[in-house]
Amino acid sequence: MDYSKFVTAVLMNDKNSLREFYEVLTKILLKFLLVRMDANLEDAKDSAQNAIMFGVEKIKNKELEHPDLIINYLFTTAKHDYLKHQSKRKEVSYDEIPEHHSEPGAQLDKLLDEERQGVLQRCFKKLKPKQFNYISYWFENPQSETAFVADHFGISVNNAWTKKHRIIQVLKECFEKNINK
Amino acid sequence: MESSRDPKSIYKKIDAYVKGTLSESEIDALWEEFAKNPDLLDQLELEVGIRKIIKDRIAKKKIAPTHSLPNWVWHASAAAVVLMVALVQLFRVDTPTNLEDFLVLNIPNEQLETADGIRSKDMLITTADSLLNLGFAAVSAGNDEKAIELFSEVISNYDEEPYVSKAFLNRGIIKYNDGAYQESISNFEEAATRASENRMISEKAYWYLGNAYVNIGELEKALEAVGEAYNRDGIFRKPAFVLYRKLSYDLGEIDFEEDTSSDN
Repeated sequence: MDYSKFVTAVLMNDKNSLREFYEVLTKILLKFLLVRMDANLEDAKDSAQNAIMFGVEKIKNKELEHPDLIINYLFTTAKHDYLKHQSKRKEVSYDEIPEHHSEPGAQLDKLLDEERQGVLQRCFKKLKPKQFNYISYWFENPQSETAFVADHFGISVNNAWTKKHRIIQVLKECFEKNINK
Repeated sequence: MESSRDPKSIYKKIDAYVKGTLSESEIDALWEEFAKNPDLLDQLELEVGIRKIIKDRIAKKKIAPTHSLPNWVWHASAAAVVLMVALVQLFRVDTPTNLEDFLVLNIPNEQLETADGIRSKDMLITTADSLLNLGFAAVSAGNDEKAIELFSEVISNYDEEPYVSKAFLNRGIIKYNDGAYQESISNFEEAATRASENRMISEKAYWYLGNAYVNIGELEKALEAVGEAYNRDGIFRKPAFVLYRKLSYDLGEIDFEEDTSSDN
């Protein structure tokens, strides 16, 4: 994602490019809010769109230009917008159930989509037994250092990472091949 | 703007994020990387998806803790189970278990046959023994190709038992773990036939042969092989019994009178 091109597209009002940028930025901010703020989908959509809208205004007013600052601004604004709406809701809704905090792991699961997960599941079943065994061990022992996994399989730490990466690539290729079928 | 860090370091960060070992500031920094390179979000999603699949599988396999019970409970349970199985058979209700739950997914390296520690006839390590040991070392080092080469050398040059059956068995194990079930079958069959006088090797060969047959969907042949493993009454007796029952059930061949009498 080239943020300097995004700035140019805003300043030139290049609608075609902007449409593409909006799509990518919405996807990033939406997932950020779902995972980092534990937002629900509708609220996340609203706050992601608001953040982009505010960001575009800032760029138009020449108040925002540097790519790193744009990223930072978008995340911060999306977060504040979400929190602002949440607190407003709390003011009027007295019977609301107290805010719950999911575990970080569970929040990451909000990235998943049932249909896509089904495709991944089918790809996972197609792994060779050795790959299956390796990747299962890797994720079944999340608190272990890579050295522990490497030791278990009698390989070096570097090879352990390479092996994991290759299996992920196998799954990725299978997933991409099957997702649009 | 492209991602500022090298891909390897980012992949490691993603791995740590999925495992829940990143600090809050590291997570924020990683999200900035996602903003610079949104494809990395797909990588994150994929890893989260894999973790979920594995977590679900573990949850499915978790067994309730065991408590010791008085003998009468066991007798009553056994009677209830027999009755229940009879009813299930009567109404032909499909079992909720999957055949794959009873299978060996990956044969551990310890199952490879090496040279015997001390031989009864002599105390010498023969060349064939050395080749078997070298093959084992190659598998342990992850060099399966070399191991296949060494075991094949035993098969070609040392037509003597127990070396050849061990070499066939080992080749079968490597092929099985590689998902080449058809090739593993021919090796296990050779091992089982040649080791007919060696209960341990033939039992192992039949047990894995049965598993390989299940993997290619040849359930009747699998039933026969697993039955042979069970009959050898060795270390695979219990899993062979369970798989035999499952296969019999799935093939509609379970015989309760014979079954209950053999259990007693």
